[in-house]
Amino acid sequence: MNTDDLLSEIGRVAGVFADAIAPLVDEQGIRATQAQFLGKKGQLSALMRDMAKLPPADRPRVGEAVNRVKGEIEARVGAKLAELTAQRRTLDLARVVDVSLPARPAAAGHLHLITQVRLESIQIFAELGFAVAEGPQLDTDWNTFEALAIPKDHPARDMQDTFYVADEIVLRTHTSPVQVRTMLAHAPPIRIIAPGQVYRRDDDPTHSPMFTQIEGLVVDEGVRFSDLRGVLDHYVSRFFGRALSVRFRPSYFPFVEPGAEVDMQCSFCGGAGCRLCKHTGWVEIGGAGMVDPDVFANCKIDSERYTGFAFGMGLERMAMLRHGVNDIKFYYEGDLRFLRQF
Amino acid sequence: MKVLRNWLLELCDLDAAPSADELARALTSVGLEVEGQTDLGAGFTGVVVAEVVAVKPHPSADKLRLVDVITSRGGAATQVVCGAPNVPAPGGRVLWAQPGATLPGGLTLAVRAVKGVDSPGMLCAEAEGGVGDAAAGIVVLEADDRTPLGAPAQQALGVDDWLLEVNAPANRPDVLGHVGVARELVARLGGRLVAPDGDLAAHTLDGPALGERLAVAIDDAAGCARYVARRLEGVTVGPSPRWLRQRLRGVGVRPISNLVDVTNYVMFELGQPLHAFDAERLLDRRIAVRTARTGETLATLDGVRRSLATTDLVIVDGAEAQRAVALAGVMGGAETEVHAGTTSIVLESASFAPRRVRATARRLGLHSESSLRFERGVDPALAEQASARAARLLAVHGGGRVVAGAVDVYPAPAAKVTVALRPARLAAVTGVGFDDGVAADALARLGCEVVVDGDALRTTVPSWRGDLSREADLIEEVLRITGYDRVPSTLPPLRAANPLFDTARAGGDETPIDADGARRILAAAGLAEAITFGFQSFARHGALNLAPTDRRSRPIALRNPMSSDQAIMRTSLVPNLLAAVARNHSHGEPDLALFEVGPVFLRRDAQGSEVAPRELADEEIWACAVLVGARPRHLGAPTAWDVFDAKGLLEQLACARARGPHGGRWTATRDVPYLHPGVAAELRFGDAEPAGWIGEIHPDVRAAFGIDVPVFAFDVRLRGLPVGGAPQMAAIPRFPRATRDVSLLLDVGIPAARVDEVIAGERPALLEAARVVEDYRDPKLPAGTKSVLWTLSYRAGDRTLTDAEVDAAHEALVSRLVAEVPAQRR
Repeated sequence: MNTDDLLSEIGRVAGVFADAIAPLVDEQGIRATQAQFLGKKGQLSALMRDMAKLPPADRPRVGEAVNRVKGEIEARVGAKLAELTAQRRTLDLARVVDVSLPARPAAAGHLHLITQVRLESIQIFAELGFAVAEGPQLDTDWNTFEALAIPKDHPARDMQDTFYVADEIVLRTHTSPVQVRTMLAHAPPIRIIAPGQVYRRDDDPTHSPMFTQIEGLVVDEGVRFSDLRGVLDHYVSRFFGRALSVRFRPSYFPFVEPGAEVDMQCSFCGGAGCRLCKHTGWVEIGGAGMVDPDVFANCKIDSERYTGFAFGMGLERMAMLRHGVNDIKFYYEGDLRFLRQF
Repeated sequence: MKVLRNWLLELCDLDAAPSADELARALTSVGLEVEGQTDLGAGFTGVVVAEVVAVKPHPSADKLRLVDVITSRGGAATQVVCGAPNVPAPGGRVLWAQPGATLPGGLTLAVRAVKGVDSPGMLCAEAEGGVGDAAAGIVVLEADDRTPLGAPAQQALGVDDWLLEVNAPANRPDVLGHVGVARELVARLGGRLVAPDGDLAAHTLDGPALGERLAVAIDDAAGCARYVARRLEGVTVGPSPRWLRQRLRGVGVRPISNLVDVTNYVMFELGQPLHAFDAERLLDRRIAVRTARTGETLATLDGVRRSLATTDLVIVDGAEAQRAVALAGVMGGAETEVHAGTTSIVLESASFAPRRVRATARRLGLHSESSLRFERGVDPALAEQASARAARLLAVHGGGRVVAGAVDVYPAPAAKVTVALRPARLAAVTGVGFDDGVAADALARLGCEVVVDGDALRTTVPSWRGDLSREADLIEEVLRITGYDRVPSTLPPLRAANPLFDTARAGGDETPIDADGARRILAAAGLAEAITFGFQSFARHGALNLAPTDRRSRPIALRNPMSSDQAIMRTSLVPNLLAAVARNHSHGEPDLALFEVGPVFLRRDAQGSEVAPRELADEEIWACAVLVGARPRHLGAPTAWDVFDAKGLLEQLACARARGPHGGRWTATRDVPYLHPGVAAELRFGDAEPAGWIGEIHPDVRAAFGIDVPVFAFDVRLRGLPVGGAPQMAAIPRFPRATRDVSLLLDVGIPAARVDEVIAGERPALLEAARVVEDYRDPKLPAGTKSVLWTLSYRAGDRTLTDAEVDAAHEALVSRLVAEVPAQRR
């Protein structure tokens, strides 16, 4: 093939390409057509090989023509593909989904309300440097009562009707045996929070035979009754998310002296008086006091050198106050209608 | 403790009489919590004291009378029709319910014709004032009643009063009487206590002293610290005065007769229980206090003959101290009971030991106001005071005379207790600053004698405050009387990092339990957390069919459960969760995904539940989940949970704790009695016991809980799941992976995991992962076979693999699988 033939062949191939690509509307076809002309075995490549047989002087002219056609093909392919992409995009954007249909549920589980309240309480006390301590639910009579200055014939045992499994083993009636265990195991300074389940022989709308207490204990040199109040002020304020304070009323617990019932400003009305607080502005949340010297003696701690405070609260009560739970039995029935609300 | 406001105020000399609300606040502020207050006269209005000025017959009814009454001296008379048999003569005073009056039950009075004569209102019986016994005639005021004409009937009936329910602390027997409460009140408010009158001077008989006529012996000194006896003669049994009866009713005691009522009255006044014997019925003028003898019996005044126990403390009479006449502090005997014809009495005022009274009251189930007080402890110093007070009231209201003197046996009078209070310590413990003298003043108001002794206040506590024996007790007293509201809000200084952060968690250096971590993982995976009771019933426990060799088959039993549902401590979380499933089903909730993480209680010995444990339980923390019904659903048909959901959840939990692949081994098992034998697997780590199981709950087990659909579950001991350290980063692959699928025909008896086993043995160099993507069962397949499809991925760390390399590696691996599994290619 001479130079002119080759040039006209190049022109013809360009025409063939134009005819071939024009009707195509799919990417695969366009790519295949591109390969058919520009690929290693493509038509244009074949012409390039023929170019080698031409006189050297003609080669640039032919080369230029080949490159021009090659450029045209690439441009055409590019344009065609761009057109296709634009069409697809337009089509894609034309889609309409009825987004009013319900959400597909993501894995949406629930921590039990008491777990949530417990974890949150632990967190709040951790801000004040409290570590978590735990103890068994079945504990010795000594840890549960005797060490806490509640001997067997003490009237205070009437206050907590106890489940027994053996003469000396009880289902703990409070988390206070964790105090005893901690003081026996560790020298002061002690600063712990002990949440856990406790049991009493009681069953009515405000009492469950099992419930959850959170106990606090601080023992160190120079610990004061006023520090107890500050810690509880912090806790109730953080827990309810508003500035609330607590007040103490004298009360009797054998293992603290002075002992107090703890009321907090009503979380619902802020102390102004409402139905929840029976118009007193205060709601009872637990018991507290300074660790009794007899308890220190039982736990081998020098009560002249160290002082300490302890407090205990019912987490069901805290949850009731914050979440409006109106019957304690809901907590422990595994009723999904209750569990999934929190 | 029931406290009446008027009674209380009678015992206090205060600047101003506090209202019921003010009383409640003051008492609560010193630790005598007022749990309720009731206006006793709130039940009726418009009833007034009136005087009868004329009584005429009714013109047309024999039993009715026309009674003219006035409500003020010289005022106009009103004619009221009355049918009562006891209308007093002119001058007598009655209670007139005027037109417009309302009575208990809501009746409103008007002018109403009675047999043709208009009656404006009516004359009232006690019951119509809401206070009394069944109507036995109208109320006629006693001659010495000073209630003025026209005054509200509440005043005459003694119900213009408030009842306060005071919660007496368990360590404060001294406030189980009005005097004790009054003492607290004046200490808090400032004022003076008015002691009840026990002056017998005007009521004492001339003649020999009682000591010559009555012998008292305490044979059991540990059971009785003091015994005071007095004797009255010439008493006339009759009703008590209305005010006294009403006070007793107010505190919840039924009036009986002047003799009995006075003993009760003094008990509520001073806190000292008393007992009256008919003196004529006591044998040999001898009384003794001793322990009951074997075989001894006593007919108590409730008419029951009771066998006595050798723990009972009894009062006996007779020359040989042979006859029991009362159960000390609990109940008197019928044979020596006062009765309508009694003319002389012996009055007992004693201090019995709390333990003894408690034991007897509990054994017989006889709990009374008397036993309650003795159980808390009655101050021996009170015995003589109460005896004199009661004798005076009996003389005044029973018409008797008191034999001179008392027999007072008090072998070992209590020593005075002195405690030192250091003001510096007071400030250090409370965080409250006290001015000089404040602490001493507060203690003195409570009846303490305080002497300044160097840096301390030497405080002698009064006999009735047995609860004050240590400095800490006095610190509380000072704070109580000066007001707990003085305590400021401070924070305890943190002097050093809390050393307990590392050690406080139970378990020390063992595998951490991290129950809360498990809870968070399972909740994040879409499950709802349940918390159930630590106890359960034998029946639910038994439904699991645990093998006798399984430690969990021998639960710890409660000695005093409240119901059979709570008879034993749980050894598995499964039963309570299945019960929750059944309960949810009954509420119309078919789709459930519940979990619980909590302790099970395993005994450390080899005994059965009929034997009480000698040691504490092993409280292992387990996690258990149950899946029932359909998965959370979007559009379209619901899809049911299956066992692979349970497996996936346990995998997720195990991997999260391991902080990476957990390295455990799953094996099908038929040995878990509460799981379906064909749909169960255990998860083991090394050679240890299985850490946990997944499976379908056995149909028999779920049927026992009333569940009629499949339940899928996992059940795992948290400590059995290894806990990983901080994960270390692995290099990110730089070269691409290539995948090849292979479909193998396996015998149905060969588990899919067999392929993993063979691969693990082969360790093919370029294989990155093998994943089952299909388990295909079809009757068209050769009998007894299944077709399983795997996707195998290959990768090299240092180059991009060529197709030829991948094909060669794949072909080599598949050949090994075909030979080793064994399997056929499809």
